[in-house]
Amino acid sequence: MRRHERLIVAAAILGLLALWEVLARIGRIDATLAPAPATIVESLVRLLGRPEVRASLAVTGGEVLAAFLIAVPTGLLLGFLLAEVPVLGALVRPLVNFLFGVPKSIFLPIFILVFGVSIPQKIAFAVFTTIFVLVLGGIAAVQSVPRELVLVSRVYGASRAQIIREIYLPAMAPILLESARLGMVFNITAVLLCEIYGARDGIGYRIAAWGENLQMPQLYAALVIVAVLAVAINEILRAIETRLGAWRQRA
Amino acid sequence: MTRALVAIRGVSQRFGVDGASVSALEAIDLEIPDGQFVAVVGPSGCGKSTLLSLVAGLRLPTSGTVLCDGEPITGPMPRKVGMIFQEANLLPWLSAIDNVAFPLKLRHVSKPERLAAARRMLALTGLAAFEGRLPHELSGGMKQRVSIARGLVQNPAVLLMDEPFASLDEQTRMVLGDELLRIWSETKKTVLFVTHSLNEAVYLADRVVVLSARPGRVVDDVTVDLPRPRSFAMTGSERFGALKDRIWQHIKRAERP
Repeated sequence: MRRHERLIVAAAILGLLALWEVLARIGRIDATLAPAPATIVESLVRLLGRPEVRASLAVTGGEVLAAFLIAVPTGLLLGFLLAEVPVLGALVRPLVNFLFGVPKSIFLPIFILVFGVSIPQKIAFAVFTTIFVLVLGGIAAVQSVPRELVLVSRVYGASRAQIIREIYLPAMAPILLESARLGMVFNITAVLLCEIYGARDGIGYRIAAWGENLQMPQLYAALVIVAVLAVAINEILRAIETRLGAWRQRA
Repeated sequence: MTRALVAIRGVSQRFGVDGASVSALEAIDLEIPDGQFVAVVGPSGCGKSTLLSLVAGLRLPTSGTVLCDGEPITGPMPRKVGMIFQEANLLPWLSAIDNVAFPLKLRHVSKPERLAAARRMLALTGLAAFEGRLPHELSGGMKQRVSIARGLVQNPAVLLMDEPFASLDEQTRMVLGDELLRIWSETKKTVLFVTHSLNEAVYLADRVVVLSARPGRVVDDVTVDLPRPRSFAMTGSERFGALKDRIWQHIKRAERP
């Protein structure tokens, strides 16, 4: 976006917030369901000051991080194997494609039965939800490796390990990172779903509780916190991706 | 007679399993002396590229032997044989200089040493000012120059070129042809050059080997007795036309349905 476009967007957002503020204060919109932005901001500051809220954020963050660290290497490695070992690929890929299209939320009760309402249950469910996009990403990454570059390296005497390190890894890096970023979106969604459905702590658990008790300023403040964190993570991963993929020809 | 640097002796190549195998090359015998520029022409699908991949060590012949410097070729020999493909096939994430240095990196040559060698090759191919560019920032002709520099960086005795100018426009092709002749006269490489273009073959080579339609056999071995250095004016000469016509008669016969 160019500079003046950004200014217009920022002005439009501020204008909408101001309108919302005024309408809420003069009672034209229901302040119980949609409290004024100033009230939400006030609640946001108060929430972030409370140790138990910060602890809940840490619980959620820990679950997200653990699931990410398990799902990303496992999923990509599985994808790599499915792409490089034809027999394995022929057997497992239809199953992966099928399960990718099934909404993972329907399996949540099974995870609760197996793991109980616990942190491992949330991590396991998040890994299960995330892993399919990573497996498919791993397959796509392998397929994106130009065969002719492998041939060139062989002519110049590259060993198998050198072909992996010098050709496969750099060629796959942009798609691997893109998959990791998409996986993160699934991952955060899965952890929050688990917490809202049934948990003892975590920001999702608090969101569910505030919602049930009609504590709207707290609820909205939590939504803002989660949205800002999720977007920040996404943008950081995207920045790394752009940096490592700078060699890809721009259209 | 000077000793052959590349010797292809009784080479046949079949593809596929016994029952349904296709013969690509049959009983090829070629002796290529050190420093000779040999063009290989033939109708489409006659196994020209297969012949190059045998010398590159990318595959082994079904029967017969290929020798380089008296040594049988059993796999890629990057220090003796450099190869240039139709597409430049540069690593898109490496700058021009890192692409040229890549074969040396595979051999664990130290960084300063390999960059120095790559810089010399970029100067030789006229790209000294572009060493930091990524492939997508270079034109098609410049990419192919980088690829030639990469082929030369290990100072191999043999340079294999598989239709290296086929995807370039006519003018770039002519300029690069002259550049190749200059580089060849400076470096004294033995060149095996596969092409579809009879003009290119006669203009560049000392000798044109003509293969028949599949299975490829040597049907003619033409010595190009035009003086060197070659110039564009020669392409209009009677001798040039006569040589081209002699080769064309073979191709025409083979391409007829």
